[in-house]
Amino acid sequence: MKTVKILGSGCANCKKLEAVAREAATSAGIEAEFLKVTDMKAIMAYDLLATPGLVIDDKLVSSGRIPTQAEVRQWLAA
Amino acid sequence: MDTFLHLVNGGAGNLAAYLAAHVLLCLLPAFFIAGAMAALIPKASITRWLGRNAAYRVSYPAAAAAGSLLAVCSCTIVPLFAGIYKKGAGLGPAITFLFFAPAGNILALAYTGSILGAEFAFARFVLCLLFGIGIGLLMALLFWRDDASHDAQTDTLFAGQANIGPAATGVLLALVAVLIAGTLKLWPLTATFGAITLPLPWAEAWQATLFQWVPFDAAKGEEGVSVQGSLLILLLLLIGVTAWKGLENVVEGANRSTWVALGLTAATLVVAALRLTPRADGLEVALTGRALAVALAMWAVLHYARRLDADAWRGWLWEAWRFVKQIFVLLVAGVFVVGVVRQLIQPEWIQSLAGRNDLLANAVAVVFGVFMYFPTLVEVPVAHMFLDLGMHRGPLLAYLMADPELSLQSILMVAAVIGRTKTFTYVGLVAVFSVLAGLIYGAWVDGVNPVWLAVGLAAFVGTLAAVLSWMLGRRAAAAAHA
Repeated sequence: MKTVKILGSGCANCKKLEAVAREAATSAGIEAEFLKVTDMKAIMAYDLLATPGLVIDDKLVSSGRIPTQAEVRQWLAA
Repeated sequence: MDTFLHLVNGGAGNLAAYLAAHVLLCLLPAFFIAGAMAALIPKASITRWLGRNAAYRVSYPAAAAAGSLLAVCSCTIVPLFAGIYKKGAGLGPAITFLFFAPAGNILALAYTGSILGAEFAFARFVLCLLFGIGIGLLMALLFWRDDASHDAQTDTLFAGQANIGPAATGVLLALVAVLIAGTLKLWPLTATFGAITLPLPWAEAWQATLFQWVPFDAAKGEEGVSVQGSLLILLLLLIGVTAWKGLENVVEGANRSTWVALGLTAATLVVAALRLTPRADGLEVALTGRALAVALAMWAVLHYARRLDADAWRGWLWEAWRFVKQIFVLLVAGVFVVGVVRQLIQPEWIQSLAGRNDLLANAVAVVFGVFMYFPTLVEVPVAHMFLDLGMHRGPLLAYLMADPELSLQSILMVAAVIGRTKTFTYVGLVAVFSVLAGLIYGAWVDGVNPVWLAVGLAAFVGTLAAVLSWMLGRRAAAAAHA
């Protein structure tokens, strides 16, 4: 069971990132819990300079861009 | 009922005029440039100058550059602002970044230039840059204790090194060339190199129908819809449909709709750069220097874009499309509403309130800017309306400085990061400086010698920098002593 956090205030890229991550998890057959983090202070606890950020099991794996499904599958499998 | 129809007509007419050639030639390339900046410029190439140990003469210009190059939307502005403040160069550069980002980014500059004139865009850029750095320095001076109390957190966030690749640089420069070729009003861009007449006998009748649908009053500065404009609106609708299919999932790879959408975009730019005139015997198509230059510059974009790796160009197209989705729809709605409202405002009201360049007029403009919140870029057509209605250019600039910088939304956001005291100080400073900027630009428009204004501004920023430098020196000396 993986924990996936989407960091972002709810802009277009955050929604897109969540969709990509969900599809990646489904297609890889990995069970994951999705959490949205919208509070600025909680977001800034991670080292990032631009949203959206993707956090898997409390490790920031990408920020400021939308990764492809293949990338997210790799991170989920790691 | 008649009044209602009149209002809707005003809105539709305004919208149609905005979708005409000159605005498209600026907005379409600007969206692609903004997308390229977001996707192709690595943030670390600028943020490495914003670390805790950066000298202030490096960090303030770097903060302004970050505002200009990296930040077109709040997704980047808020985290970068909080990051610079809490983990990087401190309050002053963070404020400079926050102030400059809404006015200094490519979309705002290109759009202001095409609607209100290049001179106005230039004034907005320069005054925002100088006052952005000035306000940042002032804030750093007022709250110097705060920055001093920053503990020695790790600087890793700003340690990354990165450079912009040659292909990405080529794409960016070629896109800027498209923008310049499309908007500059200079020979040989304005020259005509030949004309052919297409046998379309209905062209003249269609033009008459368009003028009937969207009546306009040239004396009020309104524009009607030309045959060319109607063709462009059709092309835009087609782009909208194909882009939705082709660009929504472009991060995963391109499909046929992607190429259709991009081809249509290129075609739209070329059509917008041609000159179409309906005649009795058909439609005259004049080949302008502008059309040639735009086509050439777009070829250069393609040339460099082919050298980008797949992730880069997919990211670029996605970011460009995201800006279109996020901004264009609101802009279209905003322009329509501005057109409706304009029918209701009497020019005398504006002229009596802000027809001159004095303290009261500038203050009124700033207060209006603070209390009205318009979505990104909609402040520009609003400003255009005020200009047509007789507002002086000085107060107009004051309004354009205050509106995007200060809205209830942005004030709350800033307060969450830096606390209330600092936020209110910032708001106060922005209000004062916006009034000042309006007075200065207004004086220039009214014919005051620009050299004096330039000297005054430079002296102001120089004094602040000197005082800050002296303070920092004393602090360092005190620390060494203790």
